[in-house]
Amino acid sequence: MADRLLTFSVFRYNPITPEIPPRMQEYQLEETMGMSLFIALNRLREEMDPSLMFDFVCRAAICGSCAMLINGRPGLACKTLTQDMPDRITVMPLPVFKLVGDLSVDTGVWFRHLNVRTEAWIHTDKVFNPKSIEARMDNPTAQAIYDAERCIECGCCIGACATANMRADFMGAAFLNRIARFMIDPRDERPTAKYFDVVGTDEGVFGCIGLMACDDLCPMEIPLQGQLAFVRRKMAQMALKCKKSA
Amino acid sequence: MILQKLLAKSPRLEARLELLELATGLMLFGFLQFHMFAVSSIILGVDAFNRDSARMDEYYLSYIGIPLVILAILVHGLVAMRKAPWKFQEMRVFVQHSRRLAHLDTWAWGVQILTGLIVLVLAATHIWSVLVTWPIEAATSAARIQGGYFSSFVLLILAAEIHAMVGLYRILVKWSWIHRKKFTKYLVYATIGMVGLGFLTLLVFYFRSIPKGLS
Ligand code: SF4
Ligand code: SF4
Ligand code: FES
Repeated sequence: MADRLLTFSVFRYNPITPEIPPRMQEYQLEETMGMSLFIALNRLREEMDPSLMFDFVCRAAICGSCAMLINGRPGLACKTLTQDMPDRITVMPLPVFKLVGDLSVDTGVWFRHLNVRTEAWIHTDKVFNPKSIEARMDNPTAQAIYDAERCIECGCCIGACATANMRADFMGAAFLNRIARFMIDPRDERPTAKYFDVVGTDEGVFGCIGLMACDDLCPMEIPLQGQLAFVRRKMAQMALKCKKSA
Repeated sequence: MILQKLLAKSPRLEARLELLELATGLMLFGFLQFHMFAVSSIILGVDAFNRDSARMDEYYLSYIGIPLVILAILVHGLVAMRKAPWKFQEMRVFVQHSRRLAHLDTWAWGVQILTGLIVLVLAATHIWSVLVTWPIEAATSAARIQGGYFSSFVLLILAAEIHAMVGLYRILVKWSWIHRKKFTKYLVYATIGMVGLGFLTLLVFYFRSIPKGLS
């Protein structure tokens, strides 16, 4: 594997200079031991092209800022080792999110919107008493919540989703996963009807066409198929219940 | 939130449309496989086929079944179409996205839209041609198949079975009734089996000369 000469084909476009059309630019780099795409892109920027834009923070698959299309598929650049890739590596920014420039997209606004829309906090009338003993939660529930909580808001599931690509207002797996997280949580006292208004729609869970690209490509391997189905079932029950009372 | 969306949004109706798509889809899946087995009785002989057909006639199964199936096809088609990429731009987005992603399930959706359209056209002509030569008899069916419809039946069988099986797969996945990776191969076997049965039936019709008055 040593001595490989890698060719990087990198998407270039800066919205500030729209007169220069989007293009793919090629760079070549010698592969080094244990090289990740994070290392490669930094070397490209340092050694060849300081104008190259891309995002990184943690370089350890924690912050979710380095998601991009790697050979067409969403993934984390910091988690992708070049040794697992062919000689030619194409990188493009994630679709759906607002393009900041080159490989950098703004996932922040999108996920902020997600957190606001899902009201991603525990809704309860109970007053917190710091002196009382914490209420116990059974292990499976805690585990299920934790599973959903592992989302690092990278946006891979959104970039991978055909529906989200076609319909700007589709919520996508990250959104529905977040909803699932609060629906499981026994401390959250919101009735299902409340969630129904938010996700029981074609922009929500019923817009999902079940292609499972999200499930296949989530870098945290969150079981998104199950999460989506959980929300779907709850929402379907809700719709049927309404029928009876209507 | 914008006014027109706020007013037009109805979670209840949108959820029910989804359930309607599910219900008609499952029903049509059942019907298609039932129909496949029923017509394949020609393999056992002309008498078996005619007996089946007459019995369905006798118990009014055909008279209830056929209108129901037509209705289900129309409803299913309309409800399912609401998600298809009708705008040219959406279509391009979908195709480019699928090519980049090289992801089988994503392509499968494209296949489903395509086969769905084929089925809609061919099933309509199929139903029409059956109804104008009512009742269903081996002789009239054979005449149809020998008289130039053979290739359209090949296409219809393929399109319908693939559409049905991919549809079933996606239903099972969406509601998470199966383990995705493990289950796929059974559906592939089932598709091959049903398409094989369909082709066999077709060949029997094509090569068997059926005595009674070929009109
Ligand atoms: S669900 Fe997975 S792919 Fe989607 S944002 Fe969270 S970590 Fe990323
Ligand atoms: S399963 Fe649903 S949310 Fe996931 S990629 Fe497909 S359409 Fe998008
Ligand atoms: S840099 Fe933080 S996830 Fe890749």
